[in-house]
Amino acid sequence: MANSKIIKNITGENKAALIIFILMGLLPIFVSGYIIFILPQYMLFGLLAVSLCILWGYSGIISFGQAAFFAIGAYTMGIVIREGGAINTAYIGIVCGALLSGIVALIVGYFLFSVKVRSTYFVLATLALSIIVEQLAKSQKDITGGWNGLFVDRITLTVGPFIEFSLFNDIPMYYFVFFITLLSFILIKWLMASKFGKILIGIRENEDRISALGYDTSFYKTMIFAISGLLAGLAGTIYGTHAGFVDPSLARVLFSTEVIVWVAIGGRNSLIGSLAGGILVASLSNYLNSVTPEYWQLIIGVIFIVVIILFRGGLAGGVEKTYEKFFR
Amino acid sequence: MEIAVSVIIDTALITLTLALAAFGLAIIYGLIGVINMGHGAMLTLGAYFTWAGMGIGIPFVLSVILGGLIVGFIGMILEHLIIRHYYDNPFDTLLLTWAFFLVTTELIKIFFGSDFRTVTNPFPGFIDIGFYKIPTYRTAISILTAIFISFTGFVFFKTTTGIKIRAMIQNQEVASLLGLNISLTYKLVFSFGCFMAGLAGGLVAPMVSVSPYMGDMYLVRSFFVVIVGGIGQILSGTIAGSFVIGGLETIVALFSDQVIAQVAVFLVAIIILRVRPQGIFSGK
Repeated sequence: MANSKIIKNITGENKAALIIFILMGLLPIFVSGYIIFILPQYMLFGLLAVSLCILWGYSGIISFGQAAFFAIGAYTMGIVIREGGAINTAYIGIVCGALLSGIVALIVGYFLFSVKVRSTYFVLATLALSIIVEQLAKSQKDITGGWNGLFVDRITLTVGPFIEFSLFNDIPMYYFVFFITLLSFILIKWLMASKFGKILIGIRENEDRISALGYDTSFYKTMIFAISGLLAGLAGTIYGTHAGFVDPSLARVLFSTEVIVWVAIGGRNSLIGSLAGGILVASLSNYLNSVTPEYWQLIIGVIFIVVIILFRGGLAGGVEKTYEKFFR
Repeated sequence: MEIAVSVIIDTALITLTLALAAFGLAIIYGLIGVINMGHGAMLTLGAYFTWAGMGIGIPFVLSVILGGLIVGFIGMILEHLIIRHYYDNPFDTLLLTWAFFLVTTELIKIFFGSDFRTVTNPFPGFIDIGFYKIPTYRTAISILTAIFISFTGFVFFKTTTGIKIRAMIQNQEVASLLGLNISLTYKLVFSFGCFMAGLAGGLVAPMVSVSPYMGDMYLVRSFFVVIVGGIGQILSGTIAGSFVIGGLETIVALFSDQVIAQVAVFLVAIIILRVRPQGIFSGK
């Protein structure tokens, strides 16, 4: 009795999230090989999509700069590992990468939001940010390796002086990324359900009214942009060590655009939809790229247009409607 | 003195070339408020049509005009099918024109291939003024740009069409009450902006390598030209914005390299965007 009540209280979206995470958690029992190697990468892309979702879906801010934060994270990881250090470079890399992205986002966000720059201008500024990061990655050869990029070793996690946990093999890596994704998702979910998240939704719906209620809207927008940058940077650091290689194309505008496409298709108003969008659309891109290298981007582009025009809720909206139609 | 003159000439040429590339965007953004993220793709299309036209033996000037017209027509179709339903929502038009960019870039790759193409320079050579050699072709398109902008200014301020368009910007409702066909005017303005983008693409084609991504470079720069110059200040703003963006890039590149120059320009543009969001030269 009590049990069924708990299940009833779980919303549709949380049910979907539960199912997706259980599936991903159990997957390595059933399959192995390439899928287990590549899926963590898509989970990180999923996190990157979530970092845009909290901006676009929740706060009404579009960013063309998510790839820049992702790249800052990945490059920081690579550089930290290359330079080495007294303490475990894995943790330093992850923390520094995420923090650096977060700080860059905080500065850019504060710089623009504090004077209430038009939201369309903000989009262009993030677009420029992407290009700046890409150009710097290309030109600062001594630090970033320039066009050739940077090789990044797989990290080893240590707990205390004796316990070591290498992520060199695919299965440990898979579960490491899985838990990072799960943890980040839960934290973001909690944050968005809190008062902070509600104020952001209020800003999206009617910024003037929220402002009239006495909230400093530019503070909230700056904070969510910083958190978004932090999350994208975090995903980037782990991407760096997972892929083993970082190059300037990570920061290119086209990659930022792909993130927008994932979120639009997954469902911009739904965290789990965005996560799933990142994972599914990136896998689909990869698959289509091997089947029809010439046409896949075209296909993705057309799907993008159709979603914006006809299915504003994306995949998540579609699932919700179908669910309500047949199970209510 | 001689160095000063050559720097002035160089800056003038860069300013006008950039103004040419940004003009179509300034028209669409300034007059009907649509952020046309497809602007870069339209430039690229114009360049490819010019290349294709010359490939089948059409003279350069005619190829450029034809290319511009085709791009303008594509813009009109785009406006009619999609954009006109989303005028109230700037974010949607932004995303949809961006989607147009994605799809167009892919179609260009499929039809024309990803290799670099070259369009033969119709006026090679230099104008020799003794101490400095000015490239003939760049001079020609700079003069042409000045003519385009003056002509648009003439239409805008001295003709009935211009008055109608200005009335529409000032007050849509009253303009439509007075019998002005708003949706047709929007369509014409959008198409004209696209036509100018295509024309610009064809005209810059001999100076650059034509590739599917050539428009990207111009897209962000054009936006900054428009923002720095001030939205709605289509004529003076475009020139002023181009002068700041292009001039700055030239000067910084003198002291460091091209990449740093571009980064510096974007940073300065972001700062201007914050400090004077109405544009540097507009009064209020």
